[in-house]
Amino acid sequence: MTSSAAVVSLEHVSKRYGASGAPEAVSDLSLTIPAGEICVLVGPSGCGKTTTMKMINRLIEPTSGRITIDGEDVMALPAVELRRRIGYVIQQVGLFPHLTVAQNVAVVPHLLRWPEAQIQERVNELLGLVRLEASYRDRYPAALSGGERQRVGVARALAADPPLMLMDEPFGAVDPILRERLQNELLRLQARVRKTIVFVTHDVDEAIKMADRIAILQRGGILAQYDTPDAILAAPANEFVEHFVGADRGLKRLSLARVRDLTLGEPITARPGEPRRDLRARLEAAEADFGLLLDAEGRPLGWVNRRDLGRDGEVASEDATPGSPTLQPETTLRDALSTLLGSSVQLGVVVDEHDRLLGLVSVDAISDVLRSTPSR
Amino acid sequence: MIPDEPFIRWDWIVTNLGDIGERTWEHVLMTVIAVGVGFVISFVLSLLIVRWRRLYGPVIGTSGLLYSIPSLGLFALLIPLTGVTLLTAEIALVSYTLLILVRNIVAGFDGVPRDVLEAAEGMGYGPWQLLWRVQLPLALPTIVAGLRIATVTTVGLVAVTALIGQSNLGSLIVQRGIRASFPTAILVGAVGSVLLGLIADLGFVGLQRLLTPWARARGG
Repeated sequence: MTSSAAVVSLEHVSKRYGASGAPEAVSDLSLTIPAGEICVLVGPSGCGKTTTMKMINRLIEPTSGRITIDGEDVMALPAVELRRRIGYVIQQVGLFPHLTVAQNVAVVPHLLRWPEAQIQERVNELLGLVRLEASYRDRYPAALSGGERQRVGVARALAADPPLMLMDEPFGAVDPILRERLQNELLRLQARVRKTIVFVTHDVDEAIKMADRIAILQRGGILAQYDTPDAILAAPANEFVEHFVGADRGLKRLSLARVRDLTLGEPITARPGEPRRDLRARLEAAEADFGLLLDAEGRPLGWVNRRDLGRDGEVASEDATPGSPTLQPETTLRDALSTLLGSSVQLGVVVDEHDRLLGLVSVDAISDVLRSTPSR
Repeated sequence: MIPDEPFIRWDWIVTNLGDIGERTWEHVLMTVIAVGVGFVISFVLSLLIVRWRRLYGPVIGTSGLLYSIPSLGLFALLIPLTGVTLLTAEIALVSYTLLILVRNIVAGFDGVPRDVLEAAEGMGYGPWQLLWRVQLPLALPTIVAGLRIATVTTVGLVAVTALIGQSNLGSLIVQRGIRASFPTAILVGAVGSVLLGLIADLGFVGLQRLLTPWARARGG
């Protein structure tokens, strides 16, 4: 199920409803969305984000400017044909109540007059992709849960394998727990299908989570900033953006990075059975007060204080004092920071999936990230 | 009425079964023509209303006015123009269906959820595909509800057209029953007409269940 993704380009696009004196809903908007990326249009209500998205599939026609998909002007095709090549997902899903799940998914292939056998094969493939069992094929939408409907909506939008998908607040009407799950599902799905996705939301946290690139629009459809989530959080272009992303943008930025993105600190380590004097000598040489004791498998047991190593004999596992919080490489820096601040030893031990030591993370290392230049 | 005449003469019914059958068939035909023509006119009017909403007031006003004219009065108005003919009867019958049908068809279209229309448009349905494959199927329950009322009403009104010489179950009541003081014929005409209305109503319910299996999905 490989397919191409499209480059979408808006060039000086404006939209004015009504007479020429009326204020513009979208004003001289130019942006290019690279193929295979999720571009989130975000902003307060009345910022023209939905209008902008609907101009791409011509549900709304621009007053001026040009929109191209892979270099082809959207006005070059009849609107109906254009729309069949673009996946479309809306907040209320809009499944056809009179069609079964399979028939709903098959809608665009039918409009495109695919052979019936190919349509059926595609429907099965898509239901698998959005993880709905085959038994759902012949159910009507009224018999589905909200999350199942939303998944069928995504499958329907992907049916004809469009290089571009438009999603208008797709998770706006579901509860927070389900929203989180659907967001993660979409990200996993996107990792497989790699479509170009234009995603509209008013929720800045959703934008930060979903986006490869965020376009922040302000009232009147003026593009305030267009950049990666990290770059926007690190350096808001103006006061509006700064205000819109929130005072906690530093913390939000930390939620974008994970422990594995840091250069981990390397402690002095020891195994039970090493002479105390040897360990003490090594700690003194490294000017370190503590050493980390590991078991035979390399799993951290706890810290050993240099001052306790004066006596003769061997280091034993009883000498180790646990206390450092354990972190995984997948932990977000925001969660890592929160864990560290809440523990008595503000030094985190990072372990792999077998609980073996990978390295150390300090509060300082995390706050250094906020001072660094953003990734683009 | 002859005093020793029994209320129902079963032997008359048996000997006139062929005649009763023919009147019934004529009754059905007149109903089908009236509801069929009325539906086509109403459907076109409703499409125009859905497209140009301003038409709703005038169309409903006019059909409401027609609906409010007593049937005998309407026949009297039409006879100078179209004579004592089937056409006269059908014009009146059709005009009585318009109010019910237009109101229900428009309500049916209005009841199609907004998000369904938006999704359909966004996926590339043309205007006609949208009408036939989305709007019409979803409006069907409301439209069929209108057809049920219109049909039952029409079955009753067809009997009245016997007064302007139309042949149907009504003429059993008027010619054979009232004029000849023969209660059996009155009863056969009336009961037959009621039964026809009932059968038509049940037929539509069955048709709707057949055409809208999805409407039952809500129950599980």
